[in-house]
Amino acid sequence: MNRMAQIVAIGLLVASSGCHDLERSRQVDNPAVAGRTIALQICSNCHGVNGVSVSPTFPKLAGQTHQYLVDQITDFKSHSRSDPNARRFMWGFTHLTDAQIEDLATYFSDQATEPGEPAAPELMDEGRTIFTSGLPAKGVAACVACHGQHGEGAGQFPRLAGQHADYVVKQLRVFQQTDTRPRGATMKAVCTNMSEQDMRAVAAYVEAFPQAPAAESASPVREDAVDPPAKEEVVDPRTKKAGEPSVNQ
Amino acid sequence: MEQAFLNGSHAFYRLLRMGLLAALAALCMLQTFPAHALPIFARQTGQSCVACHAGGQFPELTPYGRMFKLNGYTLGERTIPLAVMGTVDVTKTRHNHDINGNDISPKDGNLTWDAASIFLAGKITDHIGGFAQYTYTNYDHQNASGTWVGHWGSDNTDIRYVDRIIGDAKDLILGVTLNNSPSVQDVWNTAPSWSYPYLSSPTSAVGAPQFLPVLEGSLAQQAAGIGGYLYWNKTVYAELSAYATAEGIWSFLSKGSKEGDTAHPQTYLRGYNPYWRLALTHDWGANSVMVGTFGLNAKIYPNDSNAFPIFDQGVTRFTDIGFDAQYQYILEPHTITAQARYIHENISDPNNLVLGDSQSASLNSLRLKVSYIYQARYGISLSYFNVTGSTDSAAYGSSANFSPATSGWMPEIFWIPVQNIRIGVQYTHFTKYLGARSNYDGMGRNASDNDTLFVYLWAAYW
Repeated sequence: MNRMAQIVAIGLLVASSGCHDLERSRQVDNPAVAGRTIALQICSNCHGVNGVSVSPTFPKLAGQTHQYLVDQITDFKSHSRSDPNARRFMWGFTHLTDAQIEDLATYFSDQATEPGEPAAPELMDEGRTIFTSGLPAKGVAACVACHGQHGEGAGQFPRLAGQHADYVVKQLRVFQQTDTRPRGATMKAVCTNMSEQDMRAVAAYVEAFPQAPAAESASPVREDAVDPPAKEEVVDPRTKKAGEPSVNQ
Repeated sequence: MEQAFLNGSHAFYRLLRMGLLAALAALCMLQTFPAHALPIFARQTGQSCVACHAGGQFPELTPYGRMFKLNGYTLGERTIPLAVMGTVDVTKTRHNHDINGNDISPKDGNLTWDAASIFLAGKITDHIGGFAQYTYTNYDHQNASGTWVGHWGSDNTDIRYVDRIIGDAKDLILGVTLNNSPSVQDVWNTAPSWSYPYLSSPTSAVGAPQFLPVLEGSLAQQAAGIGGYLYWNKTVYAELSAYATAEGIWSFLSKGSKEGDTAHPQTYLRGYNPYWRLALTHDWGANSVMVGTFGLNAKIYPNDSNAFPIFDQGVTRFTDIGFDAQYQYILEPHTITAQARYIHENISDPNNLVLGDSQSASLNSLRLKVSYIYQARYGISLSYFNVTGSTDSAAYGSSANFSPATSGWMPEIFWIPVQNIRIGVQYTHFTKYLGARSNYDGMGRNASDNDTLFVYLWAAYW
């Protein structure tokens, strides 16, 4: 095995000569590492290279609003966001610099969104009603007011369109039952009286975010509703740039 | 419960055992405090155990846990690389006396402090990381005067150099591994190094199949392996490695084993012995699936009755070919995992070093397992195993039929009260043992006489 020892030693020396290349670094405590490198080497493991996560355990980040991403990463870093999965997965990023956080937010907000599959029509209709009109009797505000006509979000209010329904439901429960997301204190008032069914309905709706009511729906049709194709990629015009590669996962 | 293990022959050992039990109990209580401290990998990443371990059932890995290992344990920030783990357990064999009234499994029914390990693991550089375990087995063996002797030895060790080329449309992980057990470098829990049962009785003489293919542990901490692997687009994993005897400069990988030590002999391989592994994976929603194949071609020298190797009588060649599959569904609060593995071994023994009746034989091993865990806290597993193979009077002399065939079921329930402690109750029921359901040894012992109850507490600290 001595010959093997020499080969391994030489191999490691050659290999380690490349270890100052920051292009493929997986350090999260080095200010010199680009945000894009961190996104590719670290974040992509759960959130996908293009911010479209496979498992609903991890939220999609593609096309998320820049400010919301900055806020969440900042809150993970300071541990002020402390819901269970934040603690389990996101509390290790305590040495990211402000510049890296900016770059990470830019990287993911620039990615094209990918809507999910629609759920049963009745659930979708129920969800659309909650999203556009709220539940006045329960004191549930209409989501459009902050999250946008197309669920695209604005500034500190996150994009919801395209997000995993399971993730949305679990975050609604976090807002309703805990105080572990201080920046989302507004949401506590919104979803105080939401039932499990209400949460599942609005979550199913935002995941697929279809443009028009289903033909057999009995819900009121909005005045400005149009008849788009059955399934259409929801893209925030602010996020898609010329020459951007198409979404693939 | 009997405290017989406290009545050791030396006061020093008695104190040591009491002290370690007390330490373990104290550590358990300490865990009611918020987790400021984390195990090496958890300290390195800032993540909880469930981030990498499916349903919290270490050592099972989630898709992210597999990525962490395939990236050479380098994700996160370098930290103090030490951690420890220990097990306390009790074994109960259904009928623990042989035909002469002697005990079959020692320490049966006694609560024992089983083993403790120390780990040196984690990120070394941006591209190099590792996992090195060193284990003390408290009731390793009895010496000539019947005294129990403990034993330190190398345990699973895997050191890697990794690079990852990842962009918008491609993802390629390239790695080199140096390790001391074929399949310890694998990331699926079908790998013999990391498959169910994750813990089993250290003292039972009969609680597990007596004969298994070489890939299922014969070379663990005996061989030194170097290999290269790639994982492409989270779809194709391919690896080629070669194993040789862990001697000379590589003997740090087999510490605790040496020639002439009948309790811990060193196994000697001839030359470089290839190991390969191919796996296809796909993740969708909360689901993750793998199908794969793997194999090992090992040429092993015989040892004499004093555990010294014999180099001038040739070798026995073992060719193992395996097929495996794994499925996981992981979405809070549910975790479902299932593994299936089949290994076919061909034994070629032209000099009759292990076989007596012919110069070739086969040995086949099937292991199936399914687990369900709720809230990463309450779990249940069920496993089925089936070993079959050629008969041989020299290799399987303890069987009346000269057969290695052993099969049975292994249910287990477990509780994870805090993320670093697991308490489990495991039962092994044999439907066949060494070739027969009843009277397998010709002296009236039945397969189910070897049924074993095993209760354990497994804790890790950092």
